[in-house]
Amino acid sequence: MKISREWVQEFLNHPLPNAEKISNALTFHAFEVENIEKKGKDDILDVKVTPNRGHDCLSHRGIAKELSAILKIPMKNDPLRVSASLEPKTDLVSIKVEESNLCSRYIACYVQGVKVGPSPEWLSKRLLSIGQKSINNIVDAANFVMFDIGQPLHAFDADKLVAHKGKYNILVRRAHEREKMLTLDNKEYILTNSTMVIADGNNDTPLGIAGIKGGSYARVDSATTNLILEAATFNGPSLRRTAQALKLQSDASKRFEQVLSPELAVYAMQAFITLVKEIAGGQVVGFSDTYPTPQEKKEIIVSVNQVNAVLGTKLRDSEIIDTFECLDLPFREEDGLFTVSVPFERLDLSIPEDLIEEVARIIGYDKIPTVELPLFSKKPEINENFQKTESLRNDLVSKGYSEVYTSVFRNKGEREVLNKIGGDKPFLRDNLALGLKEALEKNIHNKDLLGVEKIKLFEIGTIWSRDNETIHIGTIREGEEIRETSLEEARVDVERENLPLFKTLHYQPFSRYPAITRDIALFVPRDASPDEIEKVIREHAGKLLVRLRLFDKFKKGDKISYAFRLVFLSQERTLTDEEVNTAMQKISSKLTENKGFEIR
Amino acid sequence: MRKDETRGHLHPISSLIREANLIFLQMGFTLVEGPLLESEWYNFDALNVPKDHPARDMQDTFYLKNEPGYVLRTHTSGLQIRYMTEQVKKGIMPPYRIIAPGKCFRNEATDMTHEAEFFQIEGLAVGEDITLAHLKGTFEKFFSEIFKGDVEVSFRPSFFPFTEPSIEVDMRLTGINVTEKLRGKWIEVGGAGMIHPQVLENSGLDSKKYQGWAFGPGLDRLAMLKWGIDDVRLMHSGDLRFINQF
Repeated sequence: MKISREWVQEFLNHPLPNAEKISNALTFHAFEVENIEKKGKDDILDVKVTPNRGHDCLSHRGIAKELSAILKIPMKNDPLRVSASLEPKTDLVSIKVEESNLCSRYIACYVQGVKVGPSPEWLSKRLLSIGQKSINNIVDAANFVMFDIGQPLHAFDADKLVAHKGKYNILVRRAHEREKMLTLDNKEYILTNSTMVIADGNNDTPLGIAGIKGGSYARVDSATTNLILEAATFNGPSLRRTAQALKLQSDASKRFEQVLSPELAVYAMQAFITLVKEIAGGQVVGFSDTYPTPQEKKEIIVSVNQVNAVLGTKLRDSEIIDTFECLDLPFREEDGLFTVSVPFERLDLSIPEDLIEEVARIIGYDKIPTVELPLFSKKPEINENFQKTESLRNDLVSKGYSEVYTSVFRNKGEREVLNKIGGDKPFLRDNLALGLKEALEKNIHNKDLLGVEKIKLFEIGTIWSRDNETIHIGTIREGEEIRETSLEEARVDVERENLPLFKTLHYQPFSRYPAITRDIALFVPRDASPDEIEKVIREHAGKLLVRLRLFDKFKKGDKISYAFRLVFLSQERTLTDEEVNTAMQKISSKLTENKGFEIR
Repeated sequence: MRKDETRGHLHPISSLIREANLIFLQMGFTLVEGPLLESEWYNFDALNVPKDHPARDMQDTFYLKNEPGYVLRTHTSGLQIRYMTEQVKKGIMPPYRIIAPGKCFRNEATDMTHEAEFFQIEGLAVGEDITLAHLKGTFEKFFSEIFKGDVEVSFRPSFFPFTEPSIEVDMRLTGINVTEKLRGKWIEVGGAGMIHPQVLENSGLDSKKYQGWAFGPGLDRLAMLKWGIDDVRLMHSGDLRFINQF
C-alpha cells in the first residue's frame, strides 16, 4: 500500500524521522517497504502489508500505529479510539440484509442539503500523493476515509432511489442470474447469484456490486443534494471470489478481501460524516444500522515464561508491559500472567503465540540470541532411498555420466494439470527417456567445446503413471539405447567412495554463441614434446581459443604425428570462419618455423 | 586419450542437497522425502492455510485434471505434517529433527529468477524446549558451512499461516572465501518461524507440551548465491555447458 509520510505524521505527536529510517523501522519490526518515492516535500512509501494485518494496516492510521509502537512516538489522535455514535436514528432509510453471513453489518446515513463540488486543496493533494484522482468532494471524502482508516465507504444520490411513502429501503441481496449492472466507470457486468449487490429495495434496481464497485444508476453528480451514505462489512472470501470472477479489483475489494471488523464501520461513518459536513455542508437526518451479531470481545492470556520459552530470551515483565503499552493493547497483569483485551480491529490476534510475535517484533528480532541446538538425543534415521540415489549418482558420475534435471511437464502423459500459464506442456511426464533424448540432442553439437568424446547423461526423477508416482533413473549415451528403470529396481553396482563435495567455487556464465572447431595434425621429430607444441598453439591462437586437446598420436619412421583439436568461441558474438582461419594460419606458420615440423 | 573415461558431473542442486545433508546430519537431522503430487490436506489444510486463502488460487497452484483434492506441491512444508503424523502413529514422540529437500511447483511464467519447477529445503526441529534462538544458531551453522565464511543471521517479521511468529531470514557473510559480490551484504535467504500450534495439533501432537520451528529456503536461490549462477532456468536446461562446471 502507498503510504504518505506527511499523512502519517498527522496522527503523531512528534516529528517522524526521515523516510529511510521509517522504512527501516517498518522493515525490521512490521512490514517490508518495497519502494520509497520522493514527492515534493513528502515521501511515499510502498509498504507490503502482510495478509494477517490487512484488517488494520491497509490504512495510514494502521501504519501510524505501528510506527508509534516501534519508534515510541505517542499517537496524537486515534480515530478508532474516539467515541463514535450512530445517533439520531431515522426510519426514513431502512435496511434489509438477506444473508447476514455475507454482510455482517450495514450502516446507512441519510444526509440532506449537501453541495457537491471540487474538493478543498488539502484533500485532493492527500489523495494525489498516493496516486488517487480527485473526483468531487463527496467521493473524495469516502476515499480519504478509506485510505485513512481502512474502511471502504460509498455514497448514493438519494433522489435517484425510489421513496415509498417518503421512505427509502436499502436491500442487500444476491444478484439475480444474468442480472446486468452498469458500474460507475460505465462498464457493464453480467452477474451471477454468487455476487452480492446493493439494491433499491423499493424497485429492486441494483445500485452497486457490494464492496467492489458502485453503480452508475445512483451516482453522485454535481446536481446531487441528498445522500445515502454506506459503511458496511462484507464477507471477505465471498467477495474475493466475486472480484476474481468479474476480474474487477478495487481498493475497496482489496480491503474487504482481507476481512474487516464490523466495529470499524462506525468509526468510518463518523469520520465520513464529519468530513462531508466540513467540505460539502448538509445536515444529518439520521442513521440506520443492521448488525445482528456483534463481534465478540477477545481476551488472550500469555505469561512472561511462555514468551521466553518460545523465543529463547530472558525478557522481564517490564519489557512485556512496555511492548503492550506501545502497541496500545490493553492488559491486566496478575502473577506474571498477562490478560490482553484485543482491540476490535486486531483480528490477527487470537492465540498466545500471536502476542509472543508482537513482543518479538517490537523489541526486535536482533534481541533474540543465537543458540546452538542441544545434542540430539536419538540417532538420526538413515533414509534408504536417498542413500541409494546417492550411490547411483556416485557410480554414474564415476563412469562419465553427467546429471541433468529435465522438466516434468510434457506434451503427452497420463495425467494433466489444469490452467497452466502459457498452456504449453500440461501433462506430467510418464518417462524420463524423452527428456533425456532432448537433452542429449541439445548437447551433441557442444561435444568439442565440452571436451568429451561422447555425451553421457543421467537423470533421477519422478514420473507419473495413471495411479502412481515413482522415481525413475534414466541414462543415455550417444549411439546407445536409453536405459530407464524404477529406482526400486535399479541395482547399485559397487558402493564407490564418496565424491569430493564441490570442485567448483564459482560458475562462469557460458557464451550463448556457437563455437568453431578446427583440427591441426603435424609430423614432428621424435624428441619434440607435445607440451611444447601445445604451448606454441596457445600462444598464437589468441583469446578466442577456449579448448585445446591432443586427440591422436602415432609413430611413422623417425617421426611422430600429433593431432590437436582446437575450439574457438567468443563471449560476445558469432565467430566467422575467416577469423578462425587467420588464427589457424598463424599457428601453422609458427609451428613450421621449427626444424622438422610438418603440417599434415 | 580416451576422454570417455573422465568423470561426469553432479547437478549443482544435487551437490547442494548432498552437502546440506552432511551438515544437518551432524546436528541430528534425518533426511525425508515425499510425493510431488500432494493432497490438499498436507499441502494446505493441515498447514493452517484456509480454504479461501489466495495461495490456493488456480493462478498460483497446479491442480490436476479430474483429480480433485490434489495439487503439485507448492512447498516442502507438507512434509512436516507427513513426518510428524507418521511418527505419532508409530508411537514415536519428539524430539524430531528432519530436513526435506525437494522439487516444488508454482504456476507462473518463467524468467531469469522465476521457475515453475523449483527446489526447497524444509527443516524442522520439534521438542519440549526448541526455541527461536536455536533457529538462529542452526542457520548460522548451515550458512557458514555452505558459503565457507563467517555469517551473521538476522530475522525480520513476516507472515505464513503455518508459523507463529513468522520470520524472513537474512544473512551477511564475511571472510576471505566469500565471493566479493556477497561479502558484507545482507542477503535474503527465505522464510521460517515457530511452528503454529494448530499445525502440531493437526499432526497429532500436544502443542502445550511440544514446540519447535520450521524453515523453507529455496535451494535454487542458495545455489545461485553460492556459485554466482545468473539464471534459474539453467537448472532445468540439461545444458552441460552449465552442469559440467560443477
